[in-house]
Amino acid sequence: MSRKLGALALALGILVGAMELKTLVTAHGKTAVIMANGVSPVPKLPLPPAN
Amino acid sequence: MGAGVCFVTCSVLRASFLKYFFLNLYVILSLFADLTRQVVLRYRGVDSLEYGHTYYYTDCLLTVALFVAVISLASRVFAELHLARYVRLVAVLLLLGTAGFSYAVVAQSTDRLATMFAVELSQNLYFVGLVLTYLLWGAVLKLQETRTRLVQMVLSLGLYFSAYAGSYALVNLAPKYEVVQYLAPILGCFLPISWAVSVMRHSEDARLTPARLVAVPR
Repeated sequence: MSRKLGALALALGILVGAMELKTLVTAHGKTAVIMANGVSPVPKLPLPPAN
Repeated sequence: MGAGVCFVTCSVLRASFLKYFFLNLYVILSLFADLTRQVVLRYRGVDSLEYGHTYYYTDCLLTVALFVAVISLASRVFAELHLARYVRLVAVLLLLGTAGFSYAVVAQSTDRLATMFAVELSQNLYFVGLVLTYLLWGAVLKLQETRTRLVQMVLSLGLYFSAYAGSYALVNLAPKYEVVQYLAPILGCFLPISWAVSVMRHSEDARLTPARLVAVPR
């Protein structure tokens, strides 16, 4: 049981750390996305139209 | 693309395809994704909605595959401690947590919700993979892992993730230099090449020699 709780705590810790890191890296970015896969050109982000 | 074919060929030749199945699966999927993107790009153009959807959905699929590849390496590292089951539990929790968080971020945009969700999930999972890889680096050091292939593959992943984050920072810091725009495609080749070199140069039984202890005279 304690190991399962440990796994849950670890998963939460990793998730929080990753989101903090993402905020840190992308906060001042002018380009909206960071794409890690492939060599094809990155298309425009399909943002919903502003109301 | 050639680098991916090289890695899969090396894995098959060295009878390591099934041992590193998820790494091979990621590379094969990235080959198919590249082919699909090129076909859509050729017939529809870079500004088309179809190319955008193809790109972001395949990217999401590839990021999930890369995440599974990282987890498979973590399972191998922790297998000797009989913790592989808990590694899988953490992986499922992380995937569900990241998906839930991503949905919460994009839930308000009812237009193109699926595409925005794919983009958000892909990005969030990329950073989760980055943190996981660093933790795996720490575990490899702490457990004094000596399996050469495994160590080199984990190191390659860490370098790949770090280099991508670095290239993203460079693109933002120096957008006027065209050279930085080619960094990402170059880095895309790095991972399969380094894995291929690792598979070709070392056998599964190869071990790293631990650093010798220094005798301190008293």
